[in-house]
Amino acid sequence: MITGISLLMLALLVSPHQAASPGQNPGSKQSKPAHAGQKTRSFEEVAKAANEAREADRDDDAIKLYQEGLKLRPEWQEGLWYLSTLLYQKERFADSRDLLRRFVTLEPKTGPGWALLGMSEYQTRDYSRALDHLKHAMRNGWEGRKELAQSVFYFVSVLLTRFEQYDDSMTMLFAMMKSGEQPDLIVEPTGLAALHLPLLPSEVPPDRRELIGMAGQGALSIEHHNQAETERLFGAMVASYPNEPGVHFLYGAYLMDVRPEDGIREMRRELEISPSHVGARLRLAEEYIKEQKFEEALGLAEEAVKLAPETAPAHMVLGEALTGKGEAARGLAELETARNQAPESARTHWDLLRAYTSAGRSADAKREKEEIEKLSRPESQQEP
Amino acid sequence: MYILDMLLFPSLLVLLLTAQANPQSSAQSSFEALAKQADAARSADRLDEALTLYSKGVRLRPTWSDGWWSLGSILYEQDRFLEAQEVFRRFVATAPKPGPGFAFLALCEYETRDYDGSLKHFQSWAKSGSPGNDALIDVAGFHWALLLTRESKFEQALYLLAAKAGKLGDKPALAEAMGLASLRMANVPEDYPPLKREVVWLAGEAAVYSARQDYSRSDEYAQRLATRYPGEANVHYFLGTLLGFQKRFPEAAEEYKKELQISPQNVPAMVELALVQLENYKSDEALPVAERAVILEPKNARAHLAYGKALLATEHLSEAAHELELAKELAPESPLVRSALANAYLRLGRTQEAKRESEAFISLQEKEEVLAPVENKGDASKNKVRPKP
Repeated sequence: MITGISLLMLALLVSPHQAASPGQNPGSKQSKPAHAGQKTRSFEEVAKAANEAREADRDDDAIKLYQEGLKLRPEWQEGLWYLSTLLYQKERFADSRDLLRRFVTLEPKTGPGWALLGMSEYQTRDYSRALDHLKHAMRNGWEGRKELAQSVFYFVSVLLTRFEQYDDSMTMLFAMMKSGEQPDLIVEPTGLAALHLPLLPSEVPPDRRELIGMAGQGALSIEHHNQAETERLFGAMVASYPNEPGVHFLYGAYLMDVRPEDGIREMRRELEISPSHVGARLRLAEEYIKEQKFEEALGLAEEAVKLAPETAPAHMVLGEALTGKGEAARGLAELETARNQAPESARTHWDLLRAYTSAGRSADAKREKEEIEKLSRPESQQEP
Repeated sequence: MYILDMLLFPSLLVLLLTAQANPQSSAQSSFEALAKQADAARSADRLDEALTLYSKGVRLRPTWSDGWWSLGSILYEQDRFLEAQEVFRRFVATAPKPGPGFAFLALCEYETRDYDGSLKHFQSWAKSGSPGNDALIDVAGFHWALLLTRESKFEQALYLLAAKAGKLGDKPALAEAMGLASLRMANVPEDYPPLKREVVWLAGEAAVYSARQDYSRSDEYAQRLATRYPGEANVHYFLGTLLGFQKRFPEAAEEYKKELQISPQNVPAMVELALVQLENYKSDEALPVAERAVILEPKNARAHLAYGKALLATEHLSEAAHELELAKELAPESPLVRSALANAYLRLGRTQEAKRESEAFISLQEKEEVLAPVENKGDASKNKVRPKP
């Protein structure tokens, strides 16, 4: 499936704006690849022959010619680009990756270059660099290639799950669904993120597919606002897998919005199965804050911070609980920790705005307001 | 094959490798000017220009180790490992103190999947005192551990990785590395079967939390592992080791027994079972298991240690000393072996030998078996490279 996406994307990649084009006659199909003993050709002749071979779908010839051209002119950007894409299509991902690393040092602002580099690294299982470079691609833009953006969103979302950044992954997957991505492509990634299983779709054991599919369908159905369908899907999941970690958390997270008392029950059950579950504690604490049961919220939020001291939402919820309980100074300190850990969280800035305002710190409150405005500008939003 | 083609390109790399010193009389002043320009370009983050200037510099003066170093570090930061690898080779050949260069060379070789070369150069790095800043020591130690796992040196790998568990916190890459080593899978993270990802992740989380002495969370993942993968090779062996760390020896023994039901020839499980049964005062049960381990793997020092200790516990003193002497031959640097041997000699009345072994034990006890001594790592601040984590 992933390869399918990649090949679809490659069809769109054959004309990089950034590569300086050598003199050429794209229509000519008379060029032949160089052979041993043949008279040495100029760079311009080789480049022209390479492009002709590529346009005539003579990929193997094109590869040899681009390699020849790059021997003559190592910094030839167009050659680096086309050779990379051809090698990627041939599933020679390591070779493609090495060329793209040279290409992006020459063209550091090209989104498609970083995208293909990240995808090559994904295929060679260099997942950490793949995620970095695909995110870099997202920051650099798509040059009008919507399909490329969708592919990159897919890869980034599944990698975020593998690196245990489940909420960020879910946000991207929901955005993909809203933008019309095929549901069957995102069900499994959504299920993995929803169950907090740090696996790629290709790493799912066969006996896990049913559970993950149920979780993914259920989570996606929430976004469709079809409550009956969501209830049916999650009900079936909980009945089939009552002792599986993550299942009650997922169902409970849904119920918190529709029947909080049942949501609390599910979260409590999750904590029996997964005693160190940070998310379950935070959702419970949030609900108790909503119900103004600050003491109960506080205990759970403190436990969450202890379990995950580097997790911004834990500090944010603890800050909210403390503020609600009237411990303003401690609450502010926790909210500031949350902001420092995740400056892109609008909710934390809102919390801080209110807290600073209550404390009479108008300059600080003004700064938070500016941050909120900055975050709500359209250019801050990512779309596939 | 394509990589070989790339090496033949008349690129920066080839220019570097075919460089000759300029014999002209003005070479000295032109070299110094060039070196200054190169450093300035690098400081200003004009890396392409810096690359060109350093390349010219080392062409003028191939013994310019600072030039090779800067060139290698820029290429490394750009993830151009194939080229960086060749440059660091030149650096370690020309630098008066090449220590950190060995680590970078090894890291490049890891990235280009020359794992044997990489392991060799990590060892050279360790022999030179593991120099480098904290970031380099972390990254190099981590990758070295991955290669030790690939070489089936699981205990050494875990020794290195466990030391990082407290420092690095919840890093998925660390859990993956510890999972592979804990399950005794001789793979690097880039090449193990994808369908093993879940079992590796669960084992890795249990191992990381155990190393951080957060036993309740370790137990939570261990329980998930046992429930999900009860028949998977080495799962029960690993669960036994986790319980052993917590000194829950009777439960550990049960796990090793389960492992031996699944994998009857699993020598590490036999050895650990024998050792925990000694802790459980069940030396009669330990003895035949340890003996079988020694028969199956006569070159396994820990098997001889377990057998020697079991013989000692069952009052076979001379045989115990003999086994422990064999263990010492195989692992002369092991403080555990020296301590057990001292004990055996003492009980045999061989006091001089017991004293000698006790002294050896004391001197070895604090010596790291894998990393170079801490006191040799002092010149970290001299490292100018910013390695990527």
